[in-house]
Amino acid sequence: MGISSTQKNAMATNILDDIDLCQLGELLQQARKKSGMTQADAAKVIDAARTTIVAIEKGDRRLKPKELIQLARAYGRAISDFVRSTPVTEPFEVQFRAAYQRNEKEEAQITPTIQRFEELCRNYLELEKIMDAPLPRNYPQEYDVTNMPIEAAAESIAIAERQRLGLGDSPVPMLRNILEQSVGIRVFYLNMPAKYSELYSYDDQLGGCMAINLGHYEERRRWSMAHGYLHFLAHRRKPVVDFEGQYKRVPESERLAEAFSKYFLMPTSSLLSRFNDMHRTHGKFTPTNLFTLAHYYGVSVEALGYRLEDMKLIPSGTLDRLRDRGLKVRKVQKELGLEDIDQRADILPTHYQHLAIEALDQGLITEGRFADFLGVDRLEGRRIAESLREYSSGMLDESAHLDLRKV
Amino acid sequence: MEIKHSHVVLDACCVLNFCASGYLIEILESIPAQVVVAEVVRERELLTLQKLRDENNEDVNQFEAAIGKGLLSIVEFDSELEEETFINYVFELGDDGESATGAIAFHRDWAIATDDKKAISFFRQEAPDLQILSTLAIVKHWSEKEKLSSTTLQSALSAIRIRGRYVPHRNHPLLGWWEEMMG
Repeated sequence: MGISSTQKNAMATNILDDIDLCQLGELLQQARKKSGMTQADAAKVIDAARTTIVAIEKGDRRLKPKELIQLARAYGRAISDFVRSTPVTEPFEVQFRAAYQRNEKEEAQITPTIQRFEELCRNYLELEKIMDAPLPRNYPQEYDVTNMPIEAAAESIAIAERQRLGLGDSPVPMLRNILEQSVGIRVFYLNMPAKYSELYSYDDQLGGCMAINLGHYEERRRWSMAHGYLHFLAHRRKPVVDFEGQYKRVPESERLAEAFSKYFLMPTSSLLSRFNDMHRTHGKFTPTNLFTLAHYYGVSVEALGYRLEDMKLIPSGTLDRLRDRGLKVRKVQKELGLEDIDQRADILPTHYQHLAIEALDQGLITEGRFADFLGVDRLEGRRIAESLREYSSGMLDESAHLDLRKV
Repeated sequence: MEIKHSHVVLDACCVLNFCASGYLIEILESIPAQVVVAEVVRERELLTLQKLRDENNEDVNQFEAAIGKGLLSIVEFDSELEEETFINYVFELGDDGESATGAIAFHRDWAIATDDKKAISFFRQEAPDLQILSTLAIVKHWSEKEKLSSTTLQSALSAIRIRGRYVPHRNHPLLGWWEEMMG
């Protein structure tokens, strides 16, 4: 073969001799189950007895390189899914299974989203490790809401958080950026069935993580983010899956999260003042005013309507009556010339994308790995890389490391 | 471009670029060695090539035609050592395709063709004797060997740039040549 012995010894250690067998076994088991294969099927792939697969998955038996290659192929997975040094976090499925009871149909609907969410969070940590750039955290102490009346607690937390984040009482533009950049929460926009709005999870390594339904309008996504933010603020370690029709009797934690969203996105003082201005100017408060004001706060017409009803600024039942008259929200918004509210509907957080492109450009990850991090194929990965480079003003590889305080 | 080995293993970047150029067959014919692609790369990149085909209806056929003509062979690991090295490389590189390409070339004393910055620096360290070619080195060799017209060369490079979305990095030894040819 013409290769010197020193060269042959360049990587003398077999990684499969040193790897954590229990972790590898668990990953293999998860992959097998996802591929729908039984232990007996898997055993046939490597020409072994079923008990061998049992032992491998329990971490009791070391794998030969060929066996790992054969199993990965049979499961439709890459070897890098099994031997890469990825950060270990508590499996999300376990967390969410404990969080709420679901039937088989619901399980099948939401499991792919949970798995994707977990994978992206782990990727994020891996990128931070590669780039040695952890996501800065600006976490407040968890708010204690024990025995507090829900509405008062929600409004007081909303005011405190607005103050802490320097938001005053103005509308919150680009809530996603605030949560990602000013607080340090990982926010992904993922495809999930329409009835689901949000998944929330926390662990010490990852911090707060949210997956918001990409298929919803931005107004609703903002509401879901604010809702999830309250879970982070007041019930930090409790994983949550939010979907319509989930509760016969809505628990206090959920009522608090809903109340927080309205106070955080539509602060009382500011809303009152805007409402009075409009009312004074027109001598009445019209449906056009309702639409304009909802757009101003970046909330749905429905959310604003109920908030105004709560504040007794419009009579109770106004929104239902409007709906009974056949009000078509999107149509009216279009007629009024209200553009889509500011949003960034990328699946991935900005920091994640920038870590990935920096890692690629600094030669710390391969192009294939970059595409994997972005969840796209190589060609689409190249397109995204180009646009990310343009976004970062074509910064040179070398200049990316400069300390501007010392230039 | 001198190739000191009997075979060259193409990685996914190069396969994609050559297919995007529209001249895969011609480029392969110009390479003075048997060209191979690891099965791991073929398996993984076939869908991407399929995507290119949707735009032009050519590339997968070019790829298959090249295999049919014996200009391109698909290779599998053929020893336990190769498999072991492949897995060790995956651990370091986090990329199955680059790792398979490198592991096979390393054990068979073949050359590789890759444009991947991370893979190049890794192989330079791990296997300093491995000859590493690039998309541009191979295209330049093809253009010189076949005395291509500037129009043909420019069309191939533009297709690599536009359809393959490839741009050489700023320290690429052939960046000047690329810029000159692209006008």
